Amino acid sequence: MAEEEVMAELEAVEAVYGDDCQVIEPYPPHLHVHLKPRTADISSQQFVEATIGMRAGSQYPEEPPVISIIDSKGLDERRQKLLITSISDIAFELASCLMLVALCEEAVERLTSMNHPDGDCPLCLYPLLDEDSGSNSLPFMKLMSCFHCFHCDCIIRWWNFIQMQSEKEIMSSSSSTSSRIVTDQQGMRKMMEGSMGKCPVCRKVFLTKDIEHVLDLVGTGAQLDSGRIEVDADILQSDSEKIRRQKFEAVLKLQQENSGLIEPKRNEVLLPGMFLPQAVTAPSSESDMTSSGTQNNDPSDKSETNSSSSVNRPGSRKQSNSNMRRHRPQNSRNQVRHWVRKDNVSNN
Amino acid sequence: MTSPSASSRKALSKIACNRLQKELVEWQVNPPAGFKHKVTDNLQRWIIEVTGAPGTLYAGETYQLQVDFPEHYPMEAPQVIFVPPAPPHPHIYSNGHICLDILYDSWSPAMTVSSICISLLSMLSSSPAKQRPADNDRYVKNCKNGRSPKETRWWFHDDKV
Ligand SMILES: [Zn+2]
Ligand SMILES: [Zn+2]
Repeated sequence: MAEEEVMAELEAVEAVYGDDCQVIEPYPPHLHVHLKPRTADISSQQFVEATIGMRAGSQYPEEPPVISIIDSKGLDERRQKLLITSISDIAFELASCLMLVALCEEAVERLTSMNHPDGDCPLCLYPLLDEDSGSNSLPFMKLMSCFHCFHCDCIIRWWNFIQMQSEKEIMSSSSSTSSRIVTDQQGMRKMMEGSMGKCPVCRKVFLTKDIEHVLDLVGTGAQLDSGRIEVDADILQSDSEKIRRQKFEAVLKLQQENSGLIEPKRNEVLLPGMFLPQAVTAPSSESDMTSSGTQNNDPSDKSETNSSSSVNRPGSRKQSNSNMRRHRPQNSRNQVRHWVRKDNVSNN
Repeated sequence: MTSPSASSRKALSKIACNRLQKELVEWQVNPPAGFKHKVTDNLQRWIIEVTGAPGTLYAGETYQLQVDFPEHYPMEAPQVIFVPPAPPHPHIYSNGHICLDILYDSWSPAMTVSSICISLLSMLSSSPAKQRPADNDRYVKNCKNGRSPKETRWWFHDDKV
């Protein structure tokens, strides 16, 4: 086929995908196209995306282009393979036709059918979406930076744990020179506001604010006797990657609103990157309550210095945290405080 | 004090228990190649048999791993050591302690016993020589009171081996 025709097709692809299309080489066409599921207009309901590489040879389109995944989110190896295979299959079927747009469409189609979180929570290894228990599935959330999903309870437990550890570190490193940091809550809060975490799965960095809304939601849920969680529509927006700025403001707004009473439940709300169970009253057997119960029997709890507890961590910024769900009398801060005790040992 | 991890260790939390039971079930369905879990009723200590991969320095040799889980597993890393005799390896001390970053600083709660095993086998398989770490004697002497490797301040110079 004539080079002009192939070039014209490339222009068409560029026209369709705009900035999402990156031309590496105009001829023979080599391009990267960033694709999202069709249903991903609301970023909160987007769980997968991929940048597909298509590299044609001089024999294109008689010979189909080589398909690869340049980058992807939310797709494990199995699903990545599936995606490549399905695009490559179409490419073979369409051999000798100009097919680049069709291949992109196939990719979008596949991504759309895969647009749900897959598999288990990486922290507890229980399914994110439990088909059997249906609405009894635990609420989960997604990290916007990498689309890895976790049960809310699990990620919060982990987050609190690493926060406590880093506080501990700061304190032990400063204790020899001065004790100012420990008493200066304001300073500590400043420090914590910008603090970062790394995704437990891929170690991609995220900021405190990326999971702050989850901390909030859990705190909010505590105030509702029904155990249900009300979420302002703004928080739907807040999850959008494109409007991170607005997101943060929305979370702040929500926080302000939450300091007052919370309106009666509308009904089940489909959340941004977060599906909530219809009732959170029984956070399931694997939730914290049992373990926090045992931990509290431990007399050495009392030996924990008050220095760390006075710190204003992100999760403790509101009283809402101190009255967690009524079935869980211990707040999460108490739990993590116990977790760190052991750390002293390794510092000697 | 010969086995500090057993005596001074606290019982598994409920969360740790659930997670380990889940790992155990998954292991039974799909064990990592080259590893055998010796079944006991002790969920908190796993004894695992490793067989050196074919075509490597350790081909056909078997060693035993002892994996002890802390109260707050998987937030905290498990303690993983070879039960002596440990395989001679530039990153494995003769007392069984293993210098592998994921067991200490680079631990993540998304890792599992199975993923640790896979890393360990790849570490064994890429060994250039059956040889102890240069500071083996000094290190082992320092550990003589049954100290856990998790209390060591490791520094990791080379992740190729
Ligand atoms: Zn989980
Ligand atoms: Zn991630």
